Amino acid sequence: MSDIDLELQVNNRNVRRRAQSHQRLLDFLRDDLNLTGTKEGCGAGECGTCSVFVDGKLVKSCLMPVAKAQGTTIETIEGLAGEGMSGAGDLTPVQKAFHKTGASQCGYCIPGMVMAATSALRENPAADIEEIKERLGGNICRCTGYSKIFEAVEIARDVISGKIAATALDADGAGSSYIGNNVRRLDAPSKVSGRLRYAGDMVMPGMLHMQVLRSPHAHAAITSIDTSEAAALPGVACVITAADVPGEDGFGVFVHDQPIMARDKIRYVGEAMAAVAADDPPTAIKALSLIKVAYEDLPAVFDPEEAMQPGATVVHDYAPDNVVKHIPVRKGDVEAGFADADLIVEQTYETQQVEHAYLEPEAGLAYVDHDDVVTVVSPSQNITHHRHMLAKIIDRPINKVRFIMSPVGGGFGGKEDMIYQGMLALATMKTGQPVRLVFTREESIISTAKRHPARITYKMGLKNNGRITAVAFRMISDGGAYGLSTEGVMRKAAILSCGPYDIPNVQIDTYGIYTNNTPSGAFRTFGAMQAQFATESHLDICAEKLGLDPFEIRRINMMGDGAVTHTQQTLGSVSIGQVLDAAEQSSGWEAGAPRMRGPERSDLGGDGTRPPCTLGARFRTSGKPGRQEVA
Amino acid sequence: MLTCDQYHMPTTLPEALALWRAAPEGSRLVAGATDILPWAREGRAGHVHLPAMIDLSRIGELSGYAIADGRVRLGANVVYQQFLTDDTLRAHLPCMPFCSIWFADDQIREQATLAGNVVNASPAADGTPPVLALNGDIEIAGLDGDTVVRRSLAVADFLKGPGKTDLRPGEIVTALTCDSLEGYGGSFQKVGQRRSLVISSVCAVACIKTDPAGEVFEDVRLALGGIGPVPVRLTDIEDMLKGQRITRELIAEASSIPVTRVASRTRQDYRRTVVRGFVEAAIDDALADTGAPVPVPREREKSHV
Repeated sequence: MSDIDLELQVNNRNVRRRAQSHQRLLDFLRDDLNLTGTKEGCGAGECGTCSVFVDGKLVKSCLMPVAKAQGTTIETIEGLAGEGMSGAGDLTPVQKAFHKTGASQCGYCIPGMVMAATSALRENPAADIEEIKERLGGNICRCTGYSKIFEAVEIARDVISGKIAATALDADGAGSSYIGNNVRRLDAPSKVSGRLRYAGDMVMPGMLHMQVLRSPHAHAAITSIDTSEAAALPGVACVITAADVPGEDGFGVFVHDQPIMARDKIRYVGEAMAAVAADDPPTAIKALSLIKVAYEDLPAVFDPEEAMQPGATVVHDYAPDNVVKHIPVRKGDVEAGFADADLIVEQTYETQQVEHAYLEPEAGLAYVDHDDVVTVVSPSQNITHHRHMLAKIIDRPINKVRFIMSPVGGGFGGKEDMIYQGMLALATMKTGQPVRLVFTREESIISTAKRHPARITYKMGLKNNGRITAVAFRMISDGGAYGLSTEGVMRKAAILSCGPYDIPNVQIDTYGIYTNNTPSGAFRTFGAMQAQFATESHLDICAEKLGLDPFEIRRINMMGDGAVTHTQQTLGSVSIGQVLDAAEQSSGWEAGAPRMRGPERSDLGGDGTRPPCTLGARFRTSGKPGRQEVA
Repeated sequence: MLTCDQYHMPTTLPEALALWRAAPEGSRLVAGATDILPWAREGRAGHVHLPAMIDLSRIGELSGYAIADGRVRLGANVVYQQFLTDDTLRAHLPCMPFCSIWFADDQIREQATLAGNVVNASPAADGTPPVLALNGDIEIAGLDGDTVVRRSLAVADFLKGPGKTDLRPGEIVTALTCDSLEGYGGSFQKVGQRRSLVISSVCAVACIKTDPAGEVFEDVRLALGGIGPVPVRLTDIEDMLKGQRITRELIAEASSIPVTRVASRTRQDYRRTVVRGFVEAAIDDALADTGAPVPVPREREKSHV
């Protein structure tokens, strides 16, 4: 691969460097200039975490071969604040406004958002909110939410134009209490300036780069892995497989059923089988192609109900029935409850697998320190548990294992699983060098846990007046190939299955089942979302059948202060009544049974609603009316 | 990951043609590079190693545009953002601002070229239906010995199928030439999975000129993308509308015809449903762009009964 002699200006400094022809501008800024405020969230131009100015125009640096930067003037997030290539100066009004409004949660998308906001206001200092939204359309956020970001851009616009005083950027007074007051985040300046370093931004001298060989099969026995050719490739420091694990291999949030790399057999597409640590990523990638794996295909099972049948393919020998966890809950007498009902409604609800899609793909850096402490830096959401598991896996005393939690660029439960930290620990132990692994977006999607897909059979008995007499709730969840958080998710789903409703007779069964799909794990709500989708949909259907308003059927059945749940918890205060009142009022709900009234409804398409998928805010200056001009 | 042995940035066309002729098999021409980098990733082409990449973005001759004799000649390096920000281009190519606003996002539009989009020959390319509606020709240069030879053909003839064009080994696209439709109203419809930055499932374009009173279709240009191997021009519907009085019933009747053109390999029913609404919306919006009032949805529904 050829080199390119680059001369360009970056953040007001003249730069002359030799770059490699395969680098993207993103790689050059991050790896060669150590300007890591520019992030990589997808590498495919979809997310905007890598936005930088090139000759005054905002572009996505992951889509720009570095050669295109020859002779250009580049401005990165670090350069906005001026004074020095790495941003030693004061924050700009845009950055201060992001700080003010709390427009930084995980912060990973924020440098790109600040760049897009800066570009929007440079292109049109008077941009209105619809144009701002449109100009920020190439940047994705997952946890901050867009409202605070848009609010920040509008404040910055008005301060820059002089419409409002610069004091609007100052902190609101916290008064005598932080509660009920707008308090700025302590870590926001580090995020809006790009100074905060996530695990993938960290470097150490002599650091190796890891790449992982992943399974192309859903279920197969590994008959042999030959790593000799990969290990012999110049630049490769080590190749590791399950055979290198010195201790008791296995991790998971509840059951420790997952080896850090596939042991003897693979159970899902994307499972790690081997890993390479090399001087640079291209060498590690090349080495992966030299690893020879021989497989023996096994029948695979992809449907949890099929996996529950006698004689089904067994995913884990320890669980011949493929059940990860069954949580049964019983209260009262459901048969008597159904017998007492005027109406019995039975439906099946399905929810799908969902990816967390945090903007920061998994990344970690591991090293063995001067006291032989194996240290793993990663955005783990569960470092103490990880530390204890890793100590067993690598057979070291607990005081020789350390986990450091790096800033989490979005987790939502998806970073609770120790799916790569073990490989990093093994590789640094084997080489004595620091080792870093940064997932690609594709790797993150294919290999990490998802929200449990669920199939819920709901049977509800009701009196004609809307009172529920009994519920039978059966939820079959696809746990995927490994246990991870499935047990907890099933427990939570069982606890929250019937929602905030006072039901005298319940029979609840939640099942987490092994299959050869991508493992399911923790995801915001931890099983409640699936259960609530079924419960609330079911109540709407029952309301329709009984001719009741959906709010009414909920008020008839809602718990009150002092209610006892089906898991025998006494609730001191219950707020569902207030929640229903607020929802009814703010939605402009038109009372009545939810029959299909379509265009007759007056509470659809009115004030406060927005037509879907409209673009063209900046065309409105033409003064001509037209649908395209409604943003 | 995309890697290459050589990355060239020629500044003249003869230099680029010589490099391209000498490039080892498997080398690629690059303009904005916004398509090739995502292509060389897991799930698509995977890790790709190219012998050479020849970047055309610094060739001065391929930059800028010129307007003469009712035609707009767009250099191959004209990027999508120019159709939004350049007042002259907006006036002469009235459908292009709407196409552009739906094409990716501001940042990618600064890099991505219309010519590159056409040459990629994706059935769902956003830029191709407008170029067809604008009677686009494509200009191509090659080398005969050391002499630059040029040829030109209609884009409709240039596109041969998904990813297939009439481009021959050693040739480089230098320009697209389109009708200037100053005074027309333009529109572009697109459906995909996200508002910003998504590939079209179906897209439609319209350019319409009315009589001064706004009562009669004087000229109509319609094209659809994403419904078959290559985008198509709807000349029969154009002929049906030209010279006719503008009525809801006529627009409704015309928009139901292209449903039969859907020849995609996937999601045919969905595309048929979308196409009817799209052709109607494209006509309505192009009319609105000329200053005509926008019909309310109920008026539209009534005309389909």
